[in-house]
Amino acid sequence: MSSTILRTGNRLILPLTFLFAAYMWLKGHNEPGGGFIAGMIFSVGILLYRMSNGPEAFRRLVPVHPRWLVFYGLGLALLTAIVPMLLGYPFLTSHTRNLPLGFGQEIHFTSALLFDTGVMLVVVGVAVGMIQRLSEELNI
Amino acid sequence: MPMDPSYLLFFAVLAPVLAGLVTLFLPRTAMNARVMIALAGMAASFLSVLYHVTELGAAPIDATGTATIRWVPILNLNIAFLADGLGTFFALLVSGIGVLIVLYARAYFGPNRDDLYRFFPTLGFFATAMMGIVLADYTLLTLLFWEMTSISSFLLIGWDRYDKKAVKLAMQAFFTTGLGGMMLFGGVLLLGEYSSVWRWSDLENVTFNAGTTWAFVLMFIGAASKSAQFPFHYWLPGAMAAPTPVSAYLHSATMVKAGVYLVARLFPVFAALELWPWLILPIGALTMLLGALIAINQHDLKRIFAYTTVSQLGLLMAMYGLGAIPFTYHGETYPAIDLDIAQIANHAFYKAPLFIIAGALGHVASRNITRLNGAFYKHPMMAGTMILAGWALAGLPLSISFQAKELFLYAIYHASETIGVWWLLVMAMAIVTAMCNVAIFVRLTTTLLGLPGGMTEADGDRQEDHAHHEHEHGFWPVFLWLPALLLVSFQFIGGIFTPAWNAVFGPLENVTHENYIGHKFHGMPALWDIEFGTPLIGSLIAIGGGLVLGFSRLFRGAIVDVCDNIYPLVYRLCVIGGGRAFRVIQTGHLRHYIMFVLATFLVGFLSSLYIDPSMIDPVVLSWNRVGRFWTGIFLGLVICASAFSLVLTQDRPLRVLLLGAAGFAVVGMYLVYEAPDLALTQLLFEIISVILFVLVLRLLPANEGGAKRLSVIRITLSAASGIGFGWMTIIAATSNPSNRLGEFFLKNSYLIDGSKDYTYGGGGMNVVNVILVDFRGFDTIGEICVLAIAAFGVWSMLPPRSRRPS
Repeated sequence: MSSTILRTGNRLILPLTFLFAAYMWLKGHNEPGGGFIAGMIFSVGILLYRMSNGPEAFRRLVPVHPRWLVFYGLGLALLTAIVPMLLGYPFLTSHTRNLPLGFGQEIHFTSALLFDTGVMLVVVGVAVGMIQRLSEELNI
Repeated sequence: MPMDPSYLLFFAVLAPVLAGLVTLFLPRTAMNARVMIALAGMAASFLSVLYHVTELGAAPIDATGTATIRWVPILNLNIAFLADGLGTFFALLVSGIGVLIVLYARAYFGPNRDDLYRFFPTLGFFATAMMGIVLADYTLLTLLFWEMTSISSFLLIGWDRYDKKAVKLAMQAFFTTGLGGMMLFGGVLLLGEYSSVWRWSDLENVTFNAGTTWAFVLMFIGAASKSAQFPFHYWLPGAMAAPTPVSAYLHSATMVKAGVYLVARLFPVFAALELWPWLILPIGALTMLLGALIAINQHDLKRIFAYTTVSQLGLLMAMYGLGAIPFTYHGETYPAIDLDIAQIANHAFYKAPLFIIAGALGHVASRNITRLNGAFYKHPMMAGTMILAGWALAGLPLSISFQAKELFLYAIYHASETIGVWWLLVMAMAIVTAMCNVAIFVRLTTTLLGLPGGMTEADGDRQEDHAHHEHEHGFWPVFLWLPALLLVSFQFIGGIFTPAWNAVFGPLENVTHENYIGHKFHGMPALWDIEFGTPLIGSLIAIGGGLVLGFSRLFRGAIVDVCDNIYPLVYRLCVIGGGRAFRVIQTGHLRHYIMFVLATFLVGFLSSLYIDPSMIDPVVLSWNRVGRFWTGIFLGLVICASAFSLVLTQDRPLRVLLLGAAGFAVVGMYLVYEAPDLALTQLLFEIISVILFVLVLRLLPANEGGAKRLSVIRITLSAASGIGFGWMTIIAATSNPSNRLGEFFLKNSYLIDGSKDYTYGGGGMNVVNVILVDFRGFDTIGEICVLAIAAFGVWSMLPPRSRRPS
């Protein structure tokens, strides 16, 4: 499955994929996108890289077992869900705040972003982990 | 400053289990400290209740319970206690006998038993549960403690974990009383639903209707299973597999009285039901007679007393049944019940000693009556105490038992005004029961004293003997019989100095709402005050007949109760039926499960269509507008075509590609109808699932081939459920609630007026995403959990290979 053209092309594409995924992840609250989609894009990028460059390169790119992504993602999502309860709000209450950046600009931050991050981590962990494990089984 | 009584009672309930838990932290060798702490827990409980009753008035009639500790107010489950006469009496009985049982258990288990390490916490758990039942004010709180007694009783019956039979019997008791607990649960819920009564102290506000009548019936079934009424009585003799301290405590004096307590609790109000005597009296009377007839045909002391306990519990139930029947005497109307608490105390004061001595004799000699001939001369204190307790069992004069039985016969006699000639039948049953008890007493006495007429080994020896315990010298073995002697002495103090008995128990003969039924305390008559009349003649017949029966050769074998087969039979039926059902339902074929799910869905869908024909309108409406959606229809046709061809080909890669085609057509559909988020998600998902499929296909075994028939049923089912799902989608998309929900989401995501105020609502312009992470965030959590579980499934089914050197 490996070819020079694919490998070289992928070296160009991979950073762009990650950039696009990050854009989707951060932009999701207001425009098309979101944690789930971002996670998918990340996964597709990583998997393409794995196909073209082989398992060793994949291990250099993702040095931990994907189950840790699932673990931390779920933990983060549950934490953002539970913390409002400790503060006396209902489960999963979302908080928004505009963080000033100076020069009259500000960043609109929502706690839902953290939740979305958790979703993204879980999606990446699951998709990459499953496909990586199956590919390993087939020695490809 | 007076102490808040709620905390006093709360402490009384918790003290036994807390003390039991504390003993767990002691080193295993600290035997005496362990006993002392367990003892202190029981004693503290007893003294708190005693303090409560003496300081705060003997019988707080208008007890609205104590201060409430809020627990789950929305379920009407709070912590509050009600210490009226009935509750106080039972609490004193439980904790008082508990003190004696702790001492007895120490003597019974011997010095170096690991048993005691486990025993005191479990016993404390039980005592707490029992105290909770009798003191709780909230009906659901009573239920909670009720189930706790089932659990602790299960643990105590199956005490010997390596004895398979004991464990089986423990399960039998657990399931029988647990099923009763479920009935009680139903009853409590119905009672709360139909008359908003969630506290026993509110009971007088019950409105009688069909719901509360059923509530009463269910609660009575619960009480009957706990109190071993026919046909549930089999569990009680089975529970004799427990160590004797447990039998003496749970299965004679306390736990089996929980059902009696419940009936007593219901009595002042529900006795007004016409059903009351006609439900309770026959069951009680039948249990009474049956228990006595089986008891006389047993050889194992514990089984004898187990069946007399069944019999006596039947008598107590029958007494409450009769209690609802008033009678007139000198122109005044009285309830037939007068001294219910005296009856219960009377039973506890002779039955617990009988069990205690049965265990003690089993300890030093044998529990089999045919081997105890002449045992009095070897173990005078034990045998002597047993004869005294047997005297009370027989209801002979000088013991309070005599007066108690007399009052019961009075009640039957008085009931003749209402129940007609039936009273003769009940009277005959009571007399036969009393005869059996007298005969048991005669046989116990003649056997223990080695007199003619006693049981010998010639009477057959079919019941196995009990294992001996190691013998101990010194201080503790005294407690093998001393607690029994103490308890049985109350019998004779009451019988001889009846006014003293009345002074102690009189104030407790008060139930909340007592004025409701007109229950009045007249005191136990002294022995010499008993008038000559039908009841006394009945007593005399019973004693005379009992003496004759006792010395006769009749009923000397050991029989097995037919009802012992009820539980094994039901158990086997459940196992066989369950196995059959399992084999039918769990075929192991995925397609059958899917068919089952789809068929269930279709039935639900069609029945809702039948109930609500307006569900047809949206589809008709959509059909009329079909011309406006040609693009969608074209894409839909593509999807349908790929789905149909999916079925027709056997080639797996081709199938994967066809699935992909359907998926991409859906992406097109989303794009056409302006859902970029969904389109993007679907697109990426298609890519990943195609990769996954390709990988999995290579791991799958070769297709097993064989021409697959196209089953008509399956085709019909698939087509119908496809149409059903489509139909539901149309309804969901067009009907009003969906619009309202959509509007809600839109309104709460951002300001509609176009001003980008991100602090409003969900704070996002992308409604789809706001729904995912905010409005329906809970669903999203569930979904990512499912994803994670699926991934962990793959990782655990394909465990990582050992790292190969690369």
